[in-house]
Amino acid sequence: MKMKLLIPIILLFIVSCDSEKSSRKVDMIYWSANNTQEMEFAAKIVKDWNDKYPDNKVLFQPVPEGQSSEEVILAAVVGETTPDIYSNMWEGDVEAYAQAGVLIPLDTLNGFMDFLNERCDSATIKEVTSLDGHIYQIPWKINPIIQLYNKKMFEEVGFDKAPRTYSEFLEAGKKIQKDSDGDGYVDRWIGYAEVTVTWWQRFFDFYPLYLAASGGAPLVEKNKAVFNNDAALKVFTFLREVYKQKYFPKERISARQDAFLSGAIASRFTGPWEIAHAEKFKPKGFEYDFYPMPVPDDFDEPSYTYGDPKNIVIFNTCSNPSLAFKFIKYALSEQSDLKFLEITGQLPRRKDIDINKKYESYFEKNPKMKTFAAQAKYVRGTDQSPVLKEVFDLISQEYEACVIYGVKTPKQALDDAEKAVNLLFIK
Amino acid sequence: MKKKYLPYFLVSPYLIHFAIFVAFPVGFSIYLTFNNWNIIAPMEFVGLANYKRLFSDATFWKSLLNTVIFLVIHIPLQIVIALFLAELLNQKIKFRGFFRAAFFLPVIVSGVVVTILWQQLYGFDTGLFNRLLVKVGLGKIGWLTDPNIAMPAIAVMATWKNVGLYVILFLVGLQTVPPQYYEAADLEGATHFQKFFKITLPVINPTIFMVVVLSTIGGFSLFIEPYVMTGGGPLNSTISAVLYIYKQGFFYYHMGYAATLGFFFAMIILAVVVIQKRLVEKDR
Repeated sequence: MKMKLLIPIILLFIVSCDSEKSSRKVDMIYWSANNTQEMEFAAKIVKDWNDKYPDNKVLFQPVPEGQSSEEVILAAVVGETTPDIYSNMWEGDVEAYAQAGVLIPLDTLNGFMDFLNERCDSATIKEVTSLDGHIYQIPWKINPIIQLYNKKMFEEVGFDKAPRTYSEFLEAGKKIQKDSDGDGYVDRWIGYAEVTVTWWQRFFDFYPLYLAASGGAPLVEKNKAVFNNDAALKVFTFLREVYKQKYFPKERISARQDAFLSGAIASRFTGPWEIAHAEKFKPKGFEYDFYPMPVPDDFDEPSYTYGDPKNIVIFNTCSNPSLAFKFIKYALSEQSDLKFLEITGQLPRRKDIDINKKYESYFEKNPKMKTFAAQAKYVRGTDQSPVLKEVFDLISQEYEACVIYGVKTPKQALDDAEKAVNLLFIK
Repeated sequence: MKKKYLPYFLVSPYLIHFAIFVAFPVGFSIYLTFNNWNIIAPMEFVGLANYKRLFSDATFWKSLLNTVIFLVIHIPLQIVIALFLAELLNQKIKFRGFFRAAFFLPVIVSGVVVTILWQQLYGFDTGLFNRLLVKVGLGKIGWLTDPNIAMPAIAVMATWKNVGLYVILFLVGLQTVPPQYYEAADLEGATHFQKFFKITLPVINPTIFMVVVLSTIGGFSLFIEPYVMTGGGPLNSTISAVLYIYKQGFFYYHMGYAATLGFFFAMIILAVVVIQKRLVEKDR
């Protein structure tokens, strides 16, 4: 009796193990990020494509659940179960995968360079070119990190917008700093950044400030540290002063209620995702806006920042890269980019985002996004290096010693970081 | 013929399990120590380069030192508190069963839950400890943000979590002390302290050694607490050896180097346990 039950179960199991590609007659599998908005966009674009090209069916799946999407992709690469197309690849991860030979060099595909030149400016193309001269990724979207600030708090201390220079920032920091309950401890600050050494936390303090101060200079270039320069020195000196004067708290305040919306801090270095959050949770009468990253006093060019770019790649498990590229072109067309902007509130990385008439009405409806669109011309991603996380980790260690605890001078810290990073490249 | 194979067949579940889950991983890890491997690219044979790197890796030695600091604070503290509580719980007090259970409770609660709870207690601005300090007119302490205090703070928390287990062990030990010793001592007019130091301690010596060995091994595997609370900071003051190995393996995917560190660390633990074992046996 038991056997009778068992056999169909086993059969069902075997059948369901069959690859989805062959059972559902699809030509390509596409993985997107697994947040609600991006899934909605991906589902829509895939449906449109499948209606238009019924002979080249694409199957859309959100990237499977895991601790992080990076981990899931790694597991997929090892198990050779990667999708044909993946659209949420962090730029800093690409070089390691490219060197492992699991990505398709896209510049070898017909018409790719024309497409890229039309979409991106030369600086962006240089940024995504790998160490071996090939291009393995298509710039897709960015979320620039800039200053989010509380309008009223800055007005109270005589600023009509967030500070532009370091001196202005320090001046505002001094005026905003306050001990409201009189217990002898500061409980109102100009801003806050996570003090943990976790490497990617530097995307929200050191790195965007470094890009702003240096006009978008790299940290490492051709397997050599190039960040020990005047710009980095100024950033370290500035942030060290900020912590020394207690304009930023050294202790974690993230466990409490939202520090920005509750008025405990007046500003933050953050991205456009704050808009949706603030609109939902802000108290009545709360006014906020965005402004580019602060720069050194003598700097009078536009300030660059980190764009947190996510790109699209084609894995080498793809049997028809040209078809995959055709789908990607469709998903990145002017019209699709508009849909993407409307559904997700994230910026497509195209050079005409702030001037193209097609997007005008969106920015009119969402004026706060205008600052980000204007910033889009001045964003950088990360450098091409297979050990990028360690580079950030080593800088982060020295950042902690110098900026947070003040046990090293900025010069010492940068010298030590440079030495440690260059050690990574010795074979 | 059949008789000859039957015993092997009967023990095969254990042998297969051992081969897959113990022998293979250990063998593979040792093989890994001579290679560089980032999981996605093919392995690259590097000879003894990983071992060379280990000896010049300042962060690894710092992580070993941190682990020793943790042990030096944690073990004595644990023994004193556990013994004190066991002695109390061995008396005829009210609600004895309740207290015994209550002290054991943290042991069975998940380490992550306990750690997050203590993170709240240790918080600088809103933590209970600092609020208390400010109320009584003392200054706030950066429990997890001051490089000199973070590791002791973690050691105190680990003690709170584990002490229940050792209380139970000591209780067992205390109950093996023959009551006639105390009766004899009472007749001689010995004080409570004399009885404790002259009778109780020597008799439960084996238990003390067991507790030392167990908490040494437990202490060497310190991971959850710094991983959740501090991430190894501030200034690498709480990075434990296991946390560092984890970072090398699963942050940077240096599988070969992580295996080397793990192997080396296992040798250290082995050496320490051998020394402790010798001491225990000599004592008998």
